[in-house]
This record gives sequence, structure tokens and C-alpha cells, in this order.
Amino acid sequence: MQEKIQKIPLYIRQARRKQSLTTILTAFFIVVQIIWVGLPIFMAVLWSLVDPDHPWSFPSILPEKLSLAQWVYVFKYTNIVRALKTSYMLAPCAVALSFLLGLPTAYVLGRKQIRGKKFFETIVLLPMIMPGMVVALFLSRVFTAFGLAQNFFGLVLAHTLMALPYMIRLLATSFEAIPQDIIDAAENLGANTFVKIKDIFLPMIRPGLLAGIIFAFTTSIEEFNLTFVIGTPTFETIPTILYSFLGYNFIRTNASVVALIMMIPNIILLFIVEDLLKFDYLSASLGKL
Amino acid sequence: MKKHLLMVLAFSIIASCVFAAGPSIDLKTASWDSIVAAAKAEGSITFYAWYFPDYFKEAAADFEKKYGIKANVIIGDQTANFNKAIAEKDMQVGTIDAMIVGGQWVKTTTDLNLFYGPIKNILPDADKFAATSWEVQEGVLINGYLAPFHRNQTGFLYNPDRVKDLPQTWNEFVSWINAHPKEFGFCDPSKGGSGQAFVHTAIGALTGGLEKYKGDKEVDPAKVANWNIVWKWFNDNKDKMTITISNNDSIIRLNGGELSMTIAWNDGVKDALSKGNLFKSAKMYIPKMGLPGGGDTVGILKNAPHKAAALVWINFLQSKEQQLKKYKMVGSYPARDDVTIEDNVFDEEELRHNSVPWFPASYKDYMIKEFVKNVLMK
Repeated sequence: MQEKIQKIPLYIRQARRKQSLTTILTAFFIVVQIIWVGLPIFMAVLWSLVDPDHPWSFPSILPEKLSLAQWVYVFKYTNIVRALKTSYMLAPCAVALSFLLGLPTAYVLGRKQIRGKKFFETIVLLPMIMPGMVVALFLSRVFTAFGLAQNFFGLVLAHTLMALPYMIRLLATSFEAIPQDIIDAAENLGANTFVKIKDIFLPMIRPGLLAGIIFAFTTSIEEFNLTFVIGTPTFETIPTILYSFLGYNFIRTNASVVALIMMIPNIILLFIVEDLLKFDYLSASLGKL
Repeated sequence: MKKHLLMVLAFSIIASCVFAAGPSIDLKTASWDSIVAAAKAEGSITFYAWYFPDYFKEAAADFEKKYGIKANVIIGDQTANFNKAIAEKDMQVGTIDAMIVGGQWVKTTTDLNLFYGPIKNILPDADKFAATSWEVQEGVLINGYLAPFHRNQTGFLYNPDRVKDLPQTWNEFVSWINAHPKEFGFCDPSKGGSGQAFVHTAIGALTGGLEKYKGDKEVDPAKVANWNIVWKWFNDNKDKMTITISNNDSIIRLNGGELSMTIAWNDGVKDALSKGNLFKSAKMYIPKMGLPGGGDTVGILKNAPHKAAALVWINFLQSKEQQLKKYKMVGSYPARDDVTIEDNVFDEEELRHNSVPWFPASYKDYMIKEFVKNVLMK
């Protein structure tokens, strides 16, 4: 046996070892993903399908009977359809506005050496650090004073405010990563500002931009506090419905339904963005693809 | 730019003044018919709650059918609802007309002078409710500002397959938890009323009863001096009990088999049963040592844009038909005295003898803070 192994060339044995390690790591990754992501989603799906007349109780491992009664309940007794429309109208607007507002700041933070840069970088992150309800309570007064409460534009602004830190941070990092050599080369070849933006900056910040879009979009979709204080009763979003089942009055079956409703479009968006991210312009430009 | 901002501000102020005018009649002296007419002219009412979306959706439809007034019901989160109401407190015209006031918010909202009233003398069915329910809630003087809406009762919820001998007295209960460590659960009193009910009962049992607190408006330091005995008992027995994070979490853990017995609200249990979140064989009782009952009220915000409609909505929710409908749909007891209920989860006799009133709200607040400090943070 020992003799047989020794007959296999060393490079093949090394390749096999490498392949085995890759297989083990891949399997480990899949198992972790199943436990970390798949299992909660699977449980949410099961809880959302529990038949009210056949409770899912200990010691049953799976529900006795599945039905769509919990889904029917949520669609019949909550304003989920209105909330869905509002949420998915708000999120793209908030993403677009946070991009437009965040781009100049991100450019300066990423490409320019200014005094107090670290300070500004921290200031930009403040809305993320402060508790949501505290931000909501103070901002509601400002929004009300300027007639921005209870209107769609006000809500877009509010969501933009919450999404901006992600957009700015991710874009600034992308701007920072662009090698100066490429910009210098383009300038030497006669590229004007417009050409540099079109052919260098925008393509190269694309991965950061797409990540910023994902974060800004999900932040908007999940934003509760500010929307609740300045938006309701005129506007309801998905989290305002979700919190009624998740908060003080926690109802697992109904909460699962709303969580899935909120989650599914986000997962689809993630796959779309993941697909777009496959072409990494920055790496390609540096000959790493 | 500055000019534009000033114009927006001026417009907001003018608009506020126009809308703040509210109904042209004095609601406190007007006849009920003229209030209904004013309500119809207002056309809508916005009501904030955090539970029973099914009942409120149907009630809103019934209300619109009866009066032609649109009831816009927002089911939010309890804390978020009050944060919003408080955030809008200083606005001339708010966005909320009426809201449910949970037990633990009665003191805060009364202290903040958040509600319009008194509304007791305006509502035509006010005399169908116990006079005390208009005067005191959670030990706080409400003077007819908050309308009684429903009642509920805490009890021990248990799995009959696991709990055969039901503990009735404090000593029996202590023996039970010693024999079944970790199988009894109660919720963190800062997160839910059922947990408060349990700590309330423990204080009564370990410090010589609850009578001595009756009528006190503020905490008497002499009367709470021996509460350290209670905190010591909780710390000594912490490992034998499970502390959950909400009223419903206790029910969920019982359903999941982690607990055999817990303390819960009767309407929470009925809701969990109707939605498949609790096994059908679960039983509930009020032990002889006594557990408190409670109830929620409804208030009209001082800056409500539709006060007349809010009054008509509250009167509608308090009507015999709606009180019964609510009981049938979600299991919360009618607050009216002239309604007889059937299929009660508790035995009538048990409810009469074993349900006890809460001690005053000041003690309840103190109890929650001290429990967090002396038990949860230890």
C-alpha cells in the first residue's frame, strides 16, 4: 500500500490535498450559511405557515398542519399592501438622493487631504451611532417646523438621512482606493474632467456604489423610528407593521409573515447586485482579473 | 432661501391655527346629537393602538358603516405610540386623535397632561361603567380623562400534562418551583404587566400583605423598607425560575416546552390560542394567594384634530355590542358593568375571590425600578 502511494507523483498528491482542503472549506462555508441564514429563514417560513387550529408546540419538531391562514390574517387585518407600496417607493428615492448628496462628500473625504478629515468622517457616522428613537424625537420637531412631517418628500429626506452614512462611507473608501497613477495617466493622455468622471471614477467606484445602494436600500426598508413619528398616520411602511407584531405584543406567527414579506425583495436585490458586482472594474484596471 | 424658509414657517403656523380651531361647538356642554353631527362634519378619526389589529379593523368598518366617519386605526408599538404622542405634545394640532393607554403609561401621560377632558361627562354611556374606573387607574387619579375600554386578568398558565397539583398559596408555589427548577417563568417586570403582577404578588406574600399601600399617592419609605426581603428571595431563587423578555415570550416558551407554568394575561392567552401560538390543552387559573387584574383605557389627545369624532369613536368602542364583539374576538373582558360574558377562561367564583387590585402606581413604578436594580442587575 505504502509502495502504491509512493508511486503517485508528488505534484498530484499536493493537488489532491489542496482540492480536499477546498472541499472541506466549501462544505464548512455551506454548513455555516445553512445554520446562519438558511435555518432562520426556514423557521420563519414554517412559523408563517402554522395552522391556527393546529398549534406548533413542544414536542413536535415540525408543525402538524400547514396553512396560509397567518398570511391571510396579515393581508386582511393590517395595512400591509399600503405599507409595501410606500416602502418600495421610498427606498429608491432615498437611495438616489443619498447618492447625489453623498457623492461630493465622499469624493472630498476619499481623494482630498483636508484639515479635520478624521473628524468629518466621524461626524458623518453620527446618525448610525445615535439611538433611532432619540434621532426621531428631536428631528420630528425640525421636520414639523418646516412642514416636512406627514409628507412623502419629508419621509424621503428622513430615510436619506439614515442612509447617508453608509453611502458616504462606502463611496469614500472606493474613491480612496483609486490609484493616482491611473488619473495621472488619463490626464497625460488629455482626459478632461468629464472623461475622468465617466471613464475612471464612476466605473471604479461601482463596487462601492453598489454596496452603498444595498445598505441605503435596506436601511430605508428597515427604518422604523423616524417614519413612525413623522410619517404615520399618513404613511405606513413595512417596519411599522412588523413592530406591531415584534414589539411589546410579540406574535411569532404574524411577525414571521411580515418579516418574510420584508425580506424576500431584499434577497432578490442582493442577488441582482451580486451579479452586477461580478465585473470588478478596479481589479480589471490593475490587471488582476 | 431664508425668505422661502420663513414662508414655509408662516404657512405652517397659519395652517396650524386654521386646523386648531377644531369643532365650532363646545364639546363639554353640547348635546350628544350635536357632537355626533360635528363628528360627521370632521369626517375621520385617527386612533393608535398596539394590539388586536383584527378587532380594530372590524370595529373601524362597523363604525364607518354606522356613522359614515372613517376610522384610521394605526397598530404600532406601545412605546413608539407614546413617544410619538409626547413628541407632538407641544404642536398646536397633532396627528393622533385618540389612543389606547396601557397601565404602565397612565402615570406618565397624566403627569404630562397629555389628554383632553374630562370626557366622562360627555360620553352618554359613562354610567354603565364602574365609577371607580373613571376616577383611578393603576392607582393614579384620572378624574374622568381616560375612558375605560377593557379589563384583563393575570393568572397562572400551565401545561396540564406536566403540572398536576396546582399551587394555590405562596408556600405551595415555593415548594413547586423547588421541585421543578427553571420550569416556572415570569417576564421582566420592566417589559410586561404579567411580570409586574408576579413581583406584586411576591411583595404581598413576603412583606405582610398589600392593604397597607392602599390610598397612598406617593411611596412611603417606611412601607417599602422591608422590600429587601423580596429582592433577597428573588436573588436566592433566581436559578430556579426563568425570566422572560415579554408577556408573549412567556407564552411562547411554555408552548415550546421550556416552561411548564408561567404567569400571563387572559387576553394574551386567548390571542395566542387563536393564532396557533399555544397548544389547545393549555389551562389557566388564579391561585388563592391572588393575582392582580388590570385594564386599558382610551384617551383623546389635547391637540387632537378631530375631537368630536374621537368622542363618538370612544362611545362606539364602549357600546355593549362592541364590548361583546371584542370579548368574542380577542378575549378581553368588557369594561361595562351591564354585560354578561360566557366561555370565560376563569371560573366566575375564582375571578371574584382571587383577583386582587394593584397597589398604587407610585409603588408599581418603584417596584419595577428596584427589581431591575436589585435583581436583574445583580
